Amino acid sequence: MRVHRRNSRIALGFLILIVVQPLFAAGIPRCAVDDAGQELCMSAPAQRIVTLSPGATELTFAAGAGDKVVAAVNYSDYPPEALKLPLVGSHTRVDMEALLALKPDLVVTWVTGNPPAQIELLGELGIPMFAIEPRTFEGVSSVIERLATLAGTEQAGLAEAERFRSGIAALSEQYRNAEPIPVFYQVWQQPLMTINSDHLIGKVLQLCGGVNVFGDMPRLVPRISAEVVLQADPHAILTGSADGGADDQLDGWKHYSGLTAVKKNNLFFVPASPISRPTPRLLEATRIICDYLDSARER
Amino acid sequence: MIRPLLSLGLLACAAMVLALGLGSVTVPLPDLWQVVQGEGSALNRTLLMDLRLPRTLAAFATGGLLAVAGALMQVLLRNPLADPYVLGLSGGAAVGALLAMLAGMGTLLISGSAFAGALLATLLVFGLAHGTGSWTPSRLLLTGVVVAAGWGAVITLMLAITPSYKLPGMLYWLMGDVSYARTPWPALIVLVFSIVLIMPLARNLNVLARGPMQAAALGVSVRPLEWTIYLLASLLTATAVTTAGSIGFVGLIVPHMLRLVLGNDQRIILPASALAGGTLLVLADTLARTAIAPEQLPVGVITALLGVPTFLFLLHRSR
Repeated sequence: MRVHRRNSRIALGFLILIVVQPLFAAGIPRCAVDDAGQELCMSAPAQRIVTLSPGATELTFAAGAGDKVVAAVNYSDYPPEALKLPLVGSHTRVDMEALLALKPDLVVTWVTGNPPAQIELLGELGIPMFAIEPRTFEGVSSVIERLATLAGTEQAGLAEAERFRSGIAALSEQYRNAEPIPVFYQVWQQPLMTINSDHLIGKVLQLCGGVNVFGDMPRLVPRISAEVVLQADPHAILTGSADGGADDQLDGWKHYSGLTAVKKNNLFFVPASPISRPTPRLLEATRIICDYLDSARER
Repeated sequence: MIRPLLSLGLLACAAMVLALGLGSVTVPLPDLWQVVQGEGSALNRTLLMDLRLPRTLAAFATGGLLAVAGALMQVLLRNPLADPYVLGLSGGAAVGALLAMLAGMGTLLISGSAFAGALLATLLVFGLAHGTGSWTPSRLLLTGVVVAAGWGAVITLMLAITPSYKLPGMLYWLMGDVSYARTPWPALIVLVFSIVLIMPLARNLNVLARGPMQAAALGVSVRPLEWTIYLLASLLTATAVTTAGSIGFVGLIVPHMLRLVLGNDQRIILPASALAGGTLLVLADTLARTAIAPEQLPVGVITALLGVPTFLFLLHRSR
């Protein structure tokens, strides 16, 4: 008789816990460390999010918090739902009044891309901010998970982060023993700019078995001359274009018939937004680049 | 003499009220009054007290500083094309600010660095032009213009070598932006202090405008007066550029606009320049914030677009 009552009390206790736990969950502070090293703790999931870069918009939607975003900045064009969002200026010049009027409870900023003076002002006004700037594949997954934690959308966010993670791992495994091929990634035509191995695009090239001929340069986005490209003689030249279709950005290289990349017609175009933004679309861009480099190896 | 100053003062007040009311979020007059009294919604209070009031006051102070500096330079150099930047001051300030941005410093250090650069530019031109023998305004002007070109070359070099992500910030600083001003008080204090300092000397400036020989003959100690004006104009310009970057056009045109309407008595022109320059910049900044909101325009573009037709109209009318 006594054991029976104790068991039923335990059962009742568990029942109460199960019922009450979701109420507690809302009250547990959600903390995450941003990419600038600052920890942000929110007492409740974020409900009104403003994103201050197109990449941040994509990542917030990827974390499953798309319906909580109340405003973004110019060029926030993915996913298509983001096009309907009201804008608060551009990532280099934010309209502070419009931002404040929206009463956000979380602002997702870009470590190096947003103007420091305006970010300082936001801090002084007490607006909770989360600065992001993924620099590695793992950084992309991590930022999606952290944003999902802050927004209370862990289920969708963790799933998306894991999808990206396993996709990259599979590609990495597939191209682990690929034959190295010297490549040149052209960021911009005039002035001629490229990236080194610390840049996310540099890491994509590395994953696909490409050897970035400018990988060792000290600056993240070096400005170079055509001469050094000719000297390095890459076997493939890649650049980003509006939708991955061919345009005239690589026409300048066609004069140099001595270049291996030109001789073998290894001039490739990658969709610009997926390759330049540190978002889940990077997975598709990586697949495209790996395919290109495979075809370049065969030629 | 008081009447024009009073009208300009009223115009300045009206412009400030307009600036406080307009923006990405329009605050109607009754709500404005509420905030002034200490009530009003939290959003309106933040908008007005933390964003718009400091910005409007900073715009007024900067415009006033630049216009007075321009008027003083035009008297000093006896050249109607003189503006506050002709002696390379904004170049030195820009090099200071850009160096600080390159080093990744915070906004306070960037302002401090800009001010230090401006002072360095002032001393450089002062030292170079202060040769033995006869000193003329044209010698000062030549020295200043050449030094300004030197600063320009250094700025171009810095823009060429800076990492791409720092460029927008640097370019916006060079275009001039009142939103950088975190507090308007240094600029306002310098403006008031300078006006108080220069008003007793205004009559002597009128005499100086006729030429140094005539001024000396009439008992004005020319050399000390000229150096005082130079240093004061440099202080005004350095403060303006430190507050809001290099905003062009105001210093050159506002004194001329006022001369067309009010004549060339420095006792009226100097305080009037402060009021009119401040008003012009407040209106230009309001337009820059609202014309294509939520996009923000640089205020220097608007001052030129507003000022050029106004000046041409006044010039036409005065014939």
